[in-house]
Order: sequence, then C-alpha cells, then structure tokens
Amino acid sequence: MALKQLDVRGDICPYPMMKTVQALKKLTAQDEGLEVITDHAPALETIPTQAARLGYAAQIDETGSPEWRITLTRSV
Amino acid sequence: MTTNVNKSRSFLQTVANELGYSQGVTLGSRVRAGLAASAAALVILFIAGQFGNQMGLFWTFGLAFGFVLQRSRFCFASAFRDIFLLGHGRTMKGLLIGLVVATLGFALFMSKLVPNPALGILPPDANVLPLGWHMVVGGVLFGIGMVVAGGCVSGSIYRMGEGYVASWVSFGGIMMGLLLAAYSWNWWWDWQISRGPRIWLPTYLGHAGSVIVTLLGLLVVYLLVLWWESRSGMVIPDMPFRGSNEETFAARLGDGLKRIFVHGWPVAIGGAVLGGLNALLFIAAHPWGFTGEVSRWTVGIANVLGIGPGELKGLANLPGCAMDLGGGILHHMLFLVWGMVFGSFIASLFAGEFKIRAPRQKVRYVQAIGGGTVMGYGAGIAMGCTIGSFFSAIPSLALNGWVFALCLAVGAWMGTKIIQRIP
Repeated sequence: MALKQLDVRGDICPYPMMKTVQALKKLTAQDEGLEVITDHAPALETIPTQAARLGYAAQIDETGSPEWRITLTRSV
Repeated sequence: MTTNVNKSRSFLQTVANELGYSQGVTLGSRVRAGLAASAAALVILFIAGQFGNQMGLFWTFGLAFGFVLQRSRFCFASAFRDIFLLGHGRTMKGLLIGLVVATLGFALFMSKLVPNPALGILPPDANVLPLGWHMVVGGVLFGIGMVVAGGCVSGSIYRMGEGYVASWVSFGGIMMGLLLAAYSWNWWWDWQISRGPRIWLPTYLGHAGSVIVTLLGLLVVYLLVLWWESRSGMVIPDMPFRGSNEETFAARLGDGLKRIFVHGWPVAIGGAVLGGLNALLFIAAHPWGFTGEVSRWTVGIANVLGIGPGELKGLANLPGCAMDLGGGILHHMLFLVWGMVFGSFIASLFAGEFKIRAPRQKVRYVQAIGGGTVMGYGAGIAMGCTIGSFFSAIPSLALNGWVFALCLAVGAWMGTKIIQRIP
C-alpha cells in the first residue's frame, strides 16, 4: 500500500486537473491514493473537486512558496 | 520624568496585551516583499504623475485591476472552457455578476451623457462597435486561442505578474496576432467593418428598457448555466476560509488581512469588484480595455523595423479597443497595462504565490504562441478582447457585446476539443 506520485509543477489550468483525473483513473486496488505536487494555486480548487467526483478526499499541505502537496485518498 | 516614561511604557504594554499583541508585531518575508513592491508602485505613481494626471490615474486603475484579477483568479478562458470541459459554471457565474454591476454603472453614466437616445446619438467612448463577420470570426478565433493558450489577454497579463513564463510567450503571440490583424485590417474594413451597423440598444428601447433587456439576458444565461450544471451533477463549493480560533483583536485583524491578501477571493466577489472598477474607469475616462494599446506597441515596433502595415482606414471614428496608432511612448494606456502586471505582482507576493515558473513540456510553448497569435488576430479584427468587446461592451448596452460573447462560447468549445487531444 503506497501513495503514487504525480508532479504537475509548471503546468497551468486545466492540465494539473486533467492529469490528476487521468492518474486517479489508472490507480489499482494496491494504490492507496495519489500525491499531487503543484505550484499553480487555481489547481487547489479544481483538483479536489474533480477528485471528489471520482470518490477521493483531498488534503492540501503547503510545502513551498508557492508549492502545494494535495494528498488524495479514497473516501469511504 | 522616569516615572512618566515608565507609566507610558506600561500603558502601551497594557494596550498591546489587550489587543493581543503581547509578543509584538513581526512581519513575515511575504509581507515585507509585498510592502516593498507596494512602495515601488507608489514611487512609479509619483513619477507617472509628473507626466500628467491621466498617467497616474491609469497606473492606479491598472494596479487595482491586476490586484483583483490575481486575488480572485478571474479567468475568462476558464469561465467558458469549464462549461464544456467540466460541466460547471462557477467562473461564468462570477463573470455574470460582474456584467450586472458594470451594466448598472455604465447605464447610469450613459443616461447622463445621452439623455435622449432616440435621436440616434451614440455615447462617446462606449464600446458600441460595428457588427459584421469580423465580429463573428474574431470572437470564434479569440475563443479558440484563449483556451489553447490557457488564458485570454487579461489572464495572460496578470499571470505575467505572477511569474508564469508561458504567459509572457502568449503575450508575444498576441502581439504577433495583432500585427497580422493590422496587415489585413484594410481588407476587413472595406468588406465589413466600414458598413457594419453600430447598434446601441437605448436608441430603440430607451435607457430603462435596455437595462431591463440586458439584465434579463444575463438572467437567462445564468439559468442556462444552472441547468447545464444540474445535468452534470456536480457541486463546486468555494474553498472555505479557516481563520484563527483566538478571539483577540490581533487574531481577528490577522484573519481579515489573510482573507484579502492570502486566501483566494470567491470569483463572484472578484467579478463584482471588477465590474464596479470598470464603471468607475468609464466615468473617469473610458471603459476598461487594452487591445488597442497593445496594437499600438506592435504596429510601432513593426514601423521601426520597416515592416509596418502602412495606412489603416477608418480608425479615427472607432471607439473601444480598435487599433489606435496615435500618441507617443508615454501614453496613459501604457500605464494601465503595466499597472495590471504590477498589481498582480504585488498581490502574488503578499499571497506567497509569486514564482518564475516555466512549463516543462515544449508543446506548452507552442500552445502559448499559437493560441496567443490566433487570439491576437481575433481581438484585432473584433476591435477588442474579452474585456473591450465583451466585459465593457455588454454593459455599454451594445449588441456587438452579445454577438462577440456567443462567438467566444463557440470558439471556447472548439478550443476545448483541441486541448483534450494535447497531453
């Protein structure tokens, strides 16, 4: 059980969200979730909402200036 | 003496404790960077004022527009694109609120300018533009370009201030597109623009009637967006603001400042403030817009290089963002555009969102330059971008604003199909 990583730094809307959705769809039962690294603030709104649609809960941590880690895990 | 000093010191300490500042006040690195940039903006304002009142005024408006655009992440490209890409209209709803506010402000001011619209007089400076195929083609091209490039002209301008390298490239594309539009301007002028009717709704419906029709039109769009959203079965809540748990004055003031400077604004607030600023700018000088100014730089540079488009027909009588070739380097609009870049820069420093960042995939540069060029050409022949031909045109109670908006939507749909094929 581990979190997959996805680095979308440098990309702007809508790509961080589109790439996250693609990666979430590719997760297998072994994967606990997905960790997305982004430096695009609007993605903090778009990624959690699209992830929720696929059944994932989001947790956002600020890891740099500006850089965020969005941890997406299956919501029960 | 000493007792007095001690007394006043202890009094200050008591006040500080009472307000919640017992630890003193420390400014983080973001706040210091933001304050330093704000001070620089003030210095530029002072210098701009030396060249005339208009320069300082437009610099100030530019700063305000840039600040609000950055804080609310107001993006016309996403307003149109997300409807097709995600089936939601959060940004579009914010845009509609902005149009309502601007419409009320514009209408009030225009009713003073032209008390009797039935005589067929058009309000000077309002963005009532000739209708024709140039508006249709320009709108569709602009819609495609803004979605492919990832931002319209105003979006590129405020992201330039946030440090997005691709937005600088997009801006270069926009300048190229405007130059291409200048080369073909006379052809469009002869075929369509010169004989296009300029339809101002108050001529036919009066002021009140035009406002009612415009607001009803916006209401219909709002209801359509809600219906569209209900089909996609998705609710997009705004990110909640989590403030401090403390009850002191210091904590509350800190929360208030964070809400403005750090946490992103709800897009509806951004829309309303931009609509209000647009109305104020119209009252002060003319509606918000900058495509004409960017054309002026482009054609100016081309002339210096000896590849200028030569004489362009009919420009003297066109309002809004039609190509404007007169004036020297120190034009008030120069201060508006760079004020927007600088306002966004200040906002992104306070928020800790400034970073020089470049896309890692080469295809993004192709998108930026290609999308920018297509968008610039569209803005050139439609005599404005999402601001001049849309956000300032619908509130001008001009039919061309609605035509451009509809074509933008068609173009954005086509652009969405394109980006879904680009990994």
